[in-house]
Amino acid sequence: MLTYKFDKAIALAAAAAAALSIAAAPASAQSGQRTIKGERYVPTIWVDPDGCEHWVMDDGAEGFMTPHVTPDGKPVCRRGNICGVVPADQFFATDKHHINAAGRQRLGEFFQQAKSNGARAFVIAGHTDSRASDEYNIRLSERRAHAVAQAGRSVGARISDVRAYGERDPRVPNTSAGNMAQNRRVEIYCLR
Amino acid sequence: MLMRKTLVLLAAAAAVSGCTDAFDKTRDQHAGDGSSSHLSNMTAGIWVDPQGCEHWIIDDGLEGYADLRRTPDGKPVCNSNLPRNVATGPFKSGSTFADPL
Repeated sequence: MLTYKFDKAIALAAAAAAALSIAAAPASAQSGQRTIKGERYVPTIWVDPDGCEHWVMDDGAEGFMTPHVTPDGKPVCRRGNICGVVPADQFFATDKHHINAAGRQRLGEFFQQAKSNGARAFVIAGHTDSRASDEYNIRLSERRAHAVAQAGRSVGARISDVRAYGERDPRVPNTSAGNMAQNRRVEIYCLR
Repeated sequence: MLMRKTLVLLAAAAAVSGCTDAFDKTRDQHAGDGSSSHLSNMTAGIWVDPQGCEHWIIDDGLEGYADLRRTPDGKPVCNSNLPRNVATGPFKSGSTFADPL
């Protein structure tokens, strides 16, 4: 009983030593205890001009940087809202991708304003709600994204990419009419 | 004289950094390039790779950092209208080093 306690005390001390100075931790661990040999690398966060976070460390002579992403691969950003979100219900009829003159005018003003705020180029991404088939929604979101891109090009905006996500990247779960309306959208990313 | 002493001290500190974890890796460690500010304050430029995709690039004195630029959906920013294999912007602002390049 006493020996057991003694072993435990050693293990605790070893654990404490490992926590304080990993390099000094003994290679042979007590049974049931894992010793991880490693060096402590605590990063800080660097925020890029888009407002997105990157892990960064300076090791003396080397520097390391890697993106801070969510498990699904999206960057973690502090930019708040996306530069422009076009609510589909205000610009498109159901299942259609045509934008009327008033809509094109509004979009043209948006692109010009963004350009005067320093946007060099734009990426357009179309999205739908979850009704109808996945394939149909991809095509609908693509046609709508191209229509928004065209409105931008008509006022001289440089469109560097047009993307179509259909129903695959909803903003909110498609659980109510209100949520579905939020998911029907075309996103505009402004690149400075 | 004092500066030289500081350099030697910092060099000594760098030499033992392999066996201690006392170093703050969130700061520029540099002796020699005049900067030791927090890494969150670095200024980036844009480098365009041979395929036309944009990367943030930072020259922080002795270190260099680069990372992919992404849109909120996680995809890279490509088809850049900036020239390929060229870095633009204030990416060397962290350095007081005379960079040969």
